[in-house]
Amino acid sequence: MMQKPQTSGEPVLSCHGLTVRFGGLVAVRGVDLGVHGATIHSLIGPNGAGKSTLINCLMGFVKASGGEVLLAGRPVTGMAAYKVAEMGMARTFQNIRLFGGMTVLENILVGSHRNLETSIMDLLFRRGRAAAEEARFIERARELLSFVGLSGKDDQLAGSLPYGHQRRLEIARALMLAPSALLLDEPMAGMNVVEKAELAGLISQIRANGTAILLVEHDVEIVRSLSDRITVLHHGERIADGLPDEIFADARVQNAYLGREMMHVEG
Amino acid sequence: MIFFGQLLANGLMLGAIYALAAVAYTLVYGVVRLINFAFGELFMFGAFLTITLMLPSARLFGFNVPMPALSVFLAAPIAIGCVILMGVVIEQIAYRPLRAAPRLAPLITAIAVSVLLQSLAQTIWGPEELGLPESAVGADTPIVLFGGVYVSLVELIVVVIAVVTMIGLTLLVYRTRFGRAMRATASDTDASYIVGIPVNRVIALTFAIGSGLAALAGILYCLAYGFAHPTMGFLPGLKALIAAVLGGIGSIPGAALGGVLLALVETFGAGYLPSGSAYKDAIGFAILVLLLFFRPQGILGRPELNETSDGSLLGGRQGGKVTALVDRLAAIADRVLPSPAYRNAALLAAAAAVMFLPISDYWLRVVIVALVYGMLATGLNIVVGFAGLLDLGYVAFWSVGAYFSSILFVLVLKNTYGIDPATVWWLFYVNLVAGGLLAGLFGAFVGYPTLRLRGDYLAIMTLGFGEMIRIVTTNWVGLTRGPMGIRGIPNPSLFGFSLDRPRSLGLLAVALCALILVIASRLVKSYVGRAWVAIRDNETAAEAMAIDTRRYKLLAYSIGGMIGGMTGVFFAHFQQYISPFNFTLFDNILLLMLIVLGGLGTFVGPFVGAFIWITFLQVAQEWPIVQAFPESRYAMLGLILIALMLYRPQGIAARARPALIMSR
Repeated sequence: MMQKPQTSGEPVLSCHGLTVRFGGLVAVRGVDLGVHGATIHSLIGPNGAGKSTLINCLMGFVKASGGEVLLAGRPVTGMAAYKVAEMGMARTFQNIRLFGGMTVLENILVGSHRNLETSIMDLLFRRGRAAAEEARFIERARELLSFVGLSGKDDQLAGSLPYGHQRRLEIARALMLAPSALLLDEPMAGMNVVEKAELAGLISQIRANGTAILLVEHDVEIVRSLSDRITVLHHGERIADGLPDEIFADARVQNAYLGREMMHVEG
Repeated sequence: MIFFGQLLANGLMLGAIYALAAVAYTLVYGVVRLINFAFGELFMFGAFLTITLMLPSARLFGFNVPMPALSVFLAAPIAIGCVILMGVVIEQIAYRPLRAAPRLAPLITAIAVSVLLQSLAQTIWGPEELGLPESAVGADTPIVLFGGVYVSLVELIVVVIAVVTMIGLTLLVYRTRFGRAMRATASDTDASYIVGIPVNRVIALTFAIGSGLAALAGILYCLAYGFAHPTMGFLPGLKALIAAVLGGIGSIPGAALGGVLLALVETFGAGYLPSGSAYKDAIGFAILVLLLFFRPQGILGRPELNETSDGSLLGGRQGGKVTALVDRLAAIADRVLPSPAYRNAALLAAAAAVMFLPISDYWLRVVIVALVYGMLATGLNIVVGFAGLLDLGYVAFWSVGAYFSSILFVLVLKNTYGIDPATVWWLFYVNLVAGGLLAGLFGAFVGYPTLRLRGDYLAIMTLGFGEMIRIVTTNWVGLTRGPMGIRGIPNPSLFGFSLDRPRSLGLLAVALCALILVIASRLVKSYVGRAWVAIRDNETAAEAMAIDTRRYKLLAYSIGGMIGGMTGVFFAHFQQYISPFNFTLFDNILLLMLIVLGGLGTFVGPFVGAFIWITFLQVAQEWPIVQAFPESRYAMLGLILIALMLYRPQGIAARARPALIMSR
């Protein structure tokens, strides 16, 4: 079922005045952000602008020095990353972090932890319950594999997949959590034009399911065509936030980032 | 006051030696990020070579060999030169090829090198102490300081040499071109290589210096205490490691400070605490555990060294003849018995059938010992192979189970209340569960403070716990009877039918194996196993997938501990006698080696490794070389493991990796 991007109402994922300090260095300074459901919200900015730090902080991998993060209206600031994941946030990593010693199917099944209903006692003594639950997870994992185009690769070791497939597997694994907010940290890095286009199509489909997507991406063309909304970071500060057309017309954005980047693209 | 002064003098002398050895550790760790467990052995070789060269004749390999009877001032530099050569050769052969390998491979190799060198020393010099020749350094007459504190000339020389060496080393590292290259290599090997620093030569030289320092420390130690012994390097090696960690591993002034502090605390603890000298070594480990808990980076260290952990433990290449053979066997097994349930039943039946084969009681007992090692290794494999937590204190769980049941049966019921064990035969089966649960609880308790630690620090802390347990079981005579051990533990029996024959004990062992494997496989083939492997392969990603990593790490320690405890209960009643010597760090290392040999993270691996090792021990007894030098068997194990790490790090049965999905 197709869902229209929600630009009004409560955002699924938001942060207010979020600040991250590393010693004397301020990596993220008082950033406000609101990602709505069924929306692709891009986060752009030059290298070192604080994009990855912001993503890490949203999920609790980096401690916030100030400000707060809300997921579905509930505060998750300062929580351990696994708790934030339990509450419905999932992510992929800039440098792929698959579980290399597991098969493709097992990698996805790791995402079943959010929806566990059986206990360790069930595993040891009440096998029926546990087996039924496992069967449900496997069915869901296979659906996701076919969704990202990796059907039939269930038993391959994740570490032996080609690069592009590893990126897709990482997205499928994140989706296994059935997240309400999905953070994609440069999912297209190192891909060629065809692969990027395919992945863009996939991300649009995830949006169509109602997920709030925060996308960090360097490719301006992709960002322009894919995003519903864009936030620009520069030196850890938010310098612009709005619809793609507004952003690309903004003089500050062009100065800080796009001007140079566009020159690279065109020249 | 005189007592205090004497302790201070003794402590400073010991501190100088610890500091020197700790600096050697830290130097190498700083540059190559490798805990060189073989340092204790280089220390020992320095002492042995020096004494041997100072004698008119020495017994080597059981033969009398004439020796030059050099003075110490000639013998020591030659010995240091030899040890430097050893260090460089070890680096070339065993460590250099593994520099880019995942973290466990070089650590296992370092442990294997240590085992190899220690067994080699026992083979060359025999198991006895080698005494320093009389008046080796001249005047042994004590010098009296401040009216009552005795210091020998040797002790003064030791302190002076140690201090001068450390000052020289500091100048080398901070004031020379080579020192700059070394520091550059330490902070970024790849970048150093790119800017033209001959990284390989720098690392080789670092190893040379580190080995030379270790040898010097060993020589000073034998001058001060007057002897050399094949295992003399073990405790000082651990102490040096503790001192290095205490000061902040990678920091030279930190290591020196750590060495002196550790020696002072130990000496004063031994002098002032009640029965302190018995627990002297435990004090060091207790400090280590507390420090790692509150400030893992040490006094002067940098915190980021705790972060080098992600990635699979051994990695590994596939292929090769052995793999093809294993593949073919697996394919045949698949065709003959397609269902895993049938396959397991067939395996169980085969194992039980072994007990009815017409083989001697002696060989039946050998098989049982192999099963015991296989079960223990299975428990350790949960922690190391699946969850990726390198545990060097695992034998403690084994001893908890064994001591629990033995104390209850022998010391409490039989000796205190005069109850005949035969009337409470059922208690053994209760104890299997209770001992397992107790050890499991203990696992969570010991695991808790290690949760923040990763990689090498984790290994060091678990080692500290394991040693503390061993020291406590040795010295708490009232509870454990100390080194005498507990005798007369009854064999198990069933409804008045005593299971004292090896055949029935063997069947019991097979049943226990089956139980343990069922528990382990039910957990591994589920979301629990996936969580463990996820933590092993990438802890950050595991957290992002909603896995409470602390909880699953504790669970791994508990389940591993439970399996160790259950095996311990059986072991005590099988062997009928236990003592602290059953549960040493060496046993722990051996178990680790067996898993690596068989295949980390597989169910058959621990048993394959255990059977190969126990069979080898028996078969090798017939060989003339082993009859002449029993220790050479361990040297061979060390060699095999080094070769394995270099050429097939994933172990023999790597293809038997279990699916982490529940089978129906």
